Amino acid sequence: MLPEILISNSWLLLQGVERTLELSIATVLFSSAIGLLAALLRTFGWWAFRVVVDFYVYVVRGVPLLLLLFFMYYGLPYSGIDLAPIPGGILVMSVYFGAFMSEVFRAAIEALPRAQWDAARSLGMRLPLILVIVVVPQAVRLSAPAFINTCILLIKSTSLVSIIGLSELTMVGRQIVERTFAPFQILLGVALIYFLICYSLSRLGRYAEKRTRYAH
Amino acid sequence: MPIDNATVAPMVAFRGVSKWFGKAQVLKDISLSVAPSEVVVVIGPSGSGKTTLLRCVNWLEEYETGEITVAGEMVGYRIAANGERVRRSEREIATARAKIGFVFQSFNLFPHMTVLRNVAVGPIRVNKMPREMAETVARDLIARVGLADKADAYPTSLSGGQQQRVAIARALAMQPKLMLFDEVTSALDPELVDEVLGVMQQLARDGMTMIVVTHEMQFARDVADRIIFMDQGAIVEEGDPAKLLANPHSERLRAFMRRHIHGWARNLPRDPMTVGKNS
Repeated sequence: MLPEILISNSWLLLQGVERTLELSIATVLFSSAIGLLAALLRTFGWWAFRVVVDFYVYVVRGVPLLLLLFFMYYGLPYSGIDLAPIPGGILVMSVYFGAFMSEVFRAAIEALPRAQWDAARSLGMRLPLILVIVVVPQAVRLSAPAFINTCILLIKSTSLVSIIGLSELTMVGRQIVERTFAPFQILLGVALIYFLICYSLSRLGRYAEKRTRYAH
Repeated sequence: MPIDNATVAPMVAFRGVSKWFGKAQVLKDISLSVAPSEVVVVIGPSGSGKTTLLRCVNWLEEYETGEITVAGEMVGYRIAANGERVRRSEREIATARAKIGFVFQSFNLFPHMTVLRNVAVGPIRVNKMPREMAETVARDLIARVGLADKADAYPTSLSGGQQQRVAIARALAMQPKLMLFDEVTSALDPELVDEVLGVMQQLARDGMTMIVVTHEMQFARDVADRIIFMDQGAIVEEGDPAKLLANPHSERLRAFMRRHIHGWARNLPRDPMTVGKNS
């Protein structure tokens, strides 16, 4: 069913998938941590933190990811910082998607009814405790659809990292094309792999949303 | 029970309290004293400031002038060494709130926690009560409001009346010295109102100090020691429930009663046993 050429190169492709998944998982974790922290600082922090977070979000969102990668790859070595492609790629992508994640979480935090705050306050709870036991657990659930959406964009964006010499899925695909002169079959196969990863993530997200709905 | 306000130190006292939302004055020079174990019911048209009055007692709303004390402690402010009045710290405010139970119109249970966790979380996280002890206390309270079999359910699977009873249990778990009820039956289907009022009536019998904002005139008449009628941010009339409702002095209270209590025939006794029958 699959073209012979995909089967014979499946080992290489799998290695590309592995690298893509590594990049994606690390970036999801780091960008979520950055995003949650930024969202909390933006919403509840001291005014100077708010300014810093706003600046970060607007600047990073307004610049193409590719440009940030170039900057890291070509620009940073001039200032004596030379990051290997993998940590460098993860760093740039985490900073970039952290800005999007912070908006995802901020929207969820702000969507939480004020009444929940009233209830927590009336029990004598203070801000840090309210955040930990009332706001964040609910905001994480509320943010699920937008979070999954951002993760999907993130996974597909890892293909841009091939530009700085990381042999993730897209890079591996291009290498095979150069060797085999069968761009159509190979690129279609690569696209199918991306689709399957993202589609399973959407299904997983749906399932998780259903499972964590509040009713028993 | 009749209470002689002059001889008992009040649980709650308002002295000349005013509050503004922007330019609109929502509380006008409120003075009011609630004795320990007294049940005060506040009635009045929407927008009359009843809810604001209640929320000021635990600083969910801030007031600007006058003072409110709970058990002798001023709410929201303290007097500094130089005699000036300064805002209390968040810590002090939270500590004061922990001893005042508040029940909301829209229940406001935590939807991501079971009933048991909703009731136990305050004692555990705020009062630092050991988890097992807190859960024992919580189960006991949940049983007292008639929901022993729902302890492990999530709030969304409960009816409004059940949720509101859980909310009362949650407030009681903090062992408050004062309970505030803000139109707690207004969001309920009519057939669910009595089960909540029944719990409140029992609480009143047990000697809890309560300020109750409500439209339930039958409850006011049966349970209140005193009724306060508010309109346009001011207390217009107050007094003994039976007398006040039977013989309102002000035209505003008469108008309010005509509008809100058409079903409530004056002096028509309703079987008091029907209140709280389901609880």
